[in-house]
Amino acid sequence: MKLQLDNVSKRYGTATALDSVSLSVEEGEFFTLVGPSGCGKTTTLRCIAGFESPTEGAVRFDGESMAGVPPEARGVGVVFQNYALFPHLTVGENVAYGLRFTDTPGGNSRDDRVAELLELVDLAGFEDRDPDSLSGGQQQRVALARALAPGPDLLLLDEPMSALDARLRDRLRRQVKHIQSELGVTTVYVTHDQSEALAVSDRVAVLNRGRVEQVGNPREVYHRPRTRFVAEFVGENNVFDAVVESRPETGGLRVGVGDDVFALSEGRRTFGKSAASQSESSAAPGETLTFCVRPEALRIEGGMNRIRGTIVDTEFQGATTRLRLDWDGTDVAVTVDDESGREDGRFELGSTLEVGFDPTAAHILE
Amino acid sequence: MSGIPVRRVARFFEQRLLSFVAGLTAVILLVLFYYPVATVFADAVLEDGGLTIEPLVAILTSEFYLVDIIWFTTKQAFYSTLASLALGLPAAWLFSRFEFPGRETLRSLTILPFVMPSIMVAIGFVATFGRNGTLNRVLSVVGLPPVELLFTLEAIIVAHAFYNAPLVARIVTAAWESVDARTVETARSLGATPRRAFRDVVLPQLLPSIGIGATLTFIFTFASFPIVLALGGFQLATIEVFVYSKVRDLAYAEAASLAVIETVISIALTAVYLRYEANQRAAGGTANPLPRQSVLPSDVTPKSTLRTAGIAGYTAIVGLVFIVPIASMILASVTGGDGGLTLSHYAFLVERQATGASFQVKPLPAIVNSLVFAGGTLLVAVPMGVTMAILTTRTYRGRGLIDVLSMAPFAVSGIVVGLGLLRGLVFGVDVFGTRISVTGALAIVAAHSVGAYPFVTRNVAPLFSRLDGRLVESARSLGATRTRALLDIELPLVWTGVVAGAAFAVAISIGEFDSTIILAEGSGSYTMPVAVERFLGRRLGPATAMGCVLLAVTSLSFFVVDRFGGRWGEL
Repeated sequence: MKLQLDNVSKRYGTATALDSVSLSVEEGEFFTLVGPSGCGKTTTLRCIAGFESPTEGAVRFDGESMAGVPPEARGVGVVFQNYALFPHLTVGENVAYGLRFTDTPGGNSRDDRVAELLELVDLAGFEDRDPDSLSGGQQQRVALARALAPGPDLLLLDEPMSALDARLRDRLRRQVKHIQSELGVTTVYVTHDQSEALAVSDRVAVLNRGRVEQVGNPREVYHRPRTRFVAEFVGENNVFDAVVESRPETGGLRVGVGDDVFALSEGRRTFGKSAASQSESSAAPGETLTFCVRPEALRIEGGMNRIRGTIVDTEFQGATTRLRLDWDGTDVAVTVDDESGREDGRFELGSTLEVGFDPTAAHILE
Repeated sequence: MSGIPVRRVARFFEQRLLSFVAGLTAVILLVLFYYPVATVFADAVLEDGGLTIEPLVAILTSEFYLVDIIWFTTKQAFYSTLASLALGLPAAWLFSRFEFPGRETLRSLTILPFVMPSIMVAIGFVATFGRNGTLNRVLSVVGLPPVELLFTLEAIIVAHAFYNAPLVARIVTAAWESVDARTVETARSLGATPRRAFRDVVLPQLLPSIGIGATLTFIFTFASFPIVLALGGFQLATIEVFVYSKVRDLAYAEAASLAVIETVISIALTAVYLRYEANQRAAGGTANPLPRQSVLPSDVTPKSTLRTAGIAGYTAIVGLVFIVPIASMILASVTGGDGGLTLSHYAFLVERQATGASFQVKPLPAIVNSLVFAGGTLLVAVPMGVTMAILTTRTYRGRGLIDVLSMAPFAVSGIVVGLGLLRGLVFGVDVFGTRISVTGALAIVAAHSVGAYPFVTRNVAPLFSRLDGRLVESARSLGATRTRALLDIELPLVWTGVVAGAAFAVAISIGEFDSTIILAEGSGSYTMPVAVERFLGRRLGPATAMGCVLLAVTSLSFFVVDRFGGRWGEL
């Protein structure tokens, strides 16, 4: 099923939870809404499910407006963060609950359908257990099986992994992704965890203060953030405000940040199957622009734009080490290969370190 | 296909089902509660069709009413509150900080006095403190002169403590148990002594609950009726008792004026209480409560010895206040005038049943009436209470008003409701030219239902509000309509509260005295408590025997309803 949101706004009194959100999710797509708490991602999900009705705009399933259609008539499966299993019903009865209101998909008996779903989530034989007796991860898989049992056209997952520990989360995430692609059900996934969003999604929408900041595939959003918010929310980033000095004949830009002058390149790059994205600016000399450089793009060797700063913090992270430099009062994050600085103690706190980045590694924001 | 229109019609009704049920509940409340109360108010300010404030002014300028009645009512409520705190707070301390066999059971039992028929408790106190009561028998055995405690303020205060100290204990225990031990540990680690940590960290967390317990006690004792009637007589009369005596004298206008003054004070107190309670709804339990210690100290120090002695002394007082009255009632029912064991009081009841004149109070009709009224109350109060619980836990416009309107019966005494029903529906009302009147029996069920449904609501509403809204949303996304979700998911999950509420409704109906005695006046629809009171006026023996029958029936019915899976309520 194809899901569309046309200029959906949701206001509570004078507070605006959603401000003219437009999205389009394709049949079978794994689409993620990501953003900090309070950004409107859960409200969006609740508008899709029918628990809330938009103040303005329309939610469309295959082009048909859902205005006035109650949740029970939408054919949507929902999985919540806290599982929301019915505590007075067994695992099997939980999974079978939705089958009371619809014909069993595939024409099998209810019991067969329940067994099939429990097998799908690796809980075969758990029919008669009480939800209370299961671990968090198992409960979440029961919730997933329950949501999928009636064969929904759309699956909504509201922070389903947040209550689980990191290791379990990784495993369950892969399992959810696997089941989703196997069934081909259109899925909208809500999370505040940007790394989770990047890991599982076909496409990601970054939300902030009730607005869509950017929609794109994970690589695009990571490498070509449109706005400062996206640049700083998705992964770690160094964002610089600069003044355009000149536009050389050879292309690119020369910009000043403080006393230093950097060369930036403009150009098109494509990521995945999504359309070309660009990094360019129409700013004329004397005007300002904002660009970002990822910590891992700052290298000790090479890079024609050099930055010299004092190491104020180091964090060993295993394969890499994260450094913080004080560059004339500006904080700069650098991720370096741990081996590169080991032998001569170059990462001592207080010592000076020079790093550089290529003009193509910088990305100009809108 | 006709499926779609049918489904649409079904959905139309379904979406309005709650509104429909709510409307019905509102009509019932209007007829059974607001209209009778309005009748009383009208009685107070209308005279020969004209508006008058004379009766009200007469009361408010009369020294007799202001000092002997209103001031006395306030005074006894104040002392009763102090006594209830003094008796209840040590219990809260013991329940929350000590471990001893039967602690959980005792804690559950603190709900019992609340549902005990008050006239029965009054009998128990008469049997304990009366001229030939247990206390004087013990005194005469040890050679001391008898004491006269009946018809004194002290007797009333102790009886009120019997009722309300367990309530205080219950509320404060809940708060004490929800104090997070880590807050105390933090204070200690920052340098506070145990005493100082208690004063700075624990006490502030207990004060709101102590305030709630004290306010509720004051409200209940301010409107206390059977206890004061039986233990104070008409010499020591509260407003309630005096209203009743005026009704008996058929001085309805004066009774109504007095009732109006009482109702206004009660409603004001209840409003204060509800406001206070809403601000303090914090006690929700903690995963990390303060540890409990054994009542028997592991090492003997002066301090621990003192504490053990204190606990022992307290236990003795608790025994005297709570167990002796009930035991005395049972004992008195099998004790003859010569002090020997006898079944003559029960024989009197049997004989009265067999040969009593039609105007005399017989035991069997009292038992049958009590059970029938309890059944009727169950049928009306449980659906009403559950509906109110749903209405007061959902969010919508105008909910604040619903909250207040639904809790008003809590604040208005049974005497006032009974008086209003008597003057209105029982005497007859003209509706569009047709004279409508109901029998005393129907009016009694109505009054009991109005008194009982707030307890159903109070038992069920917390469970509703604790339900995760996502359960309903999950059910709906799986295809259940809103009503289906209510039936399939919500009601099964609040069922224990419904059963507990039903148990309350039955107990309250069986024990109800205030409105029953007014509505049963002169009619055959007397109940067990009314029978006890009528016997009490003439002979103590049969009264205690009837009290024992009441105790047995109350315990049995409470046990039967409670058996169906309920645990004790939340109050």
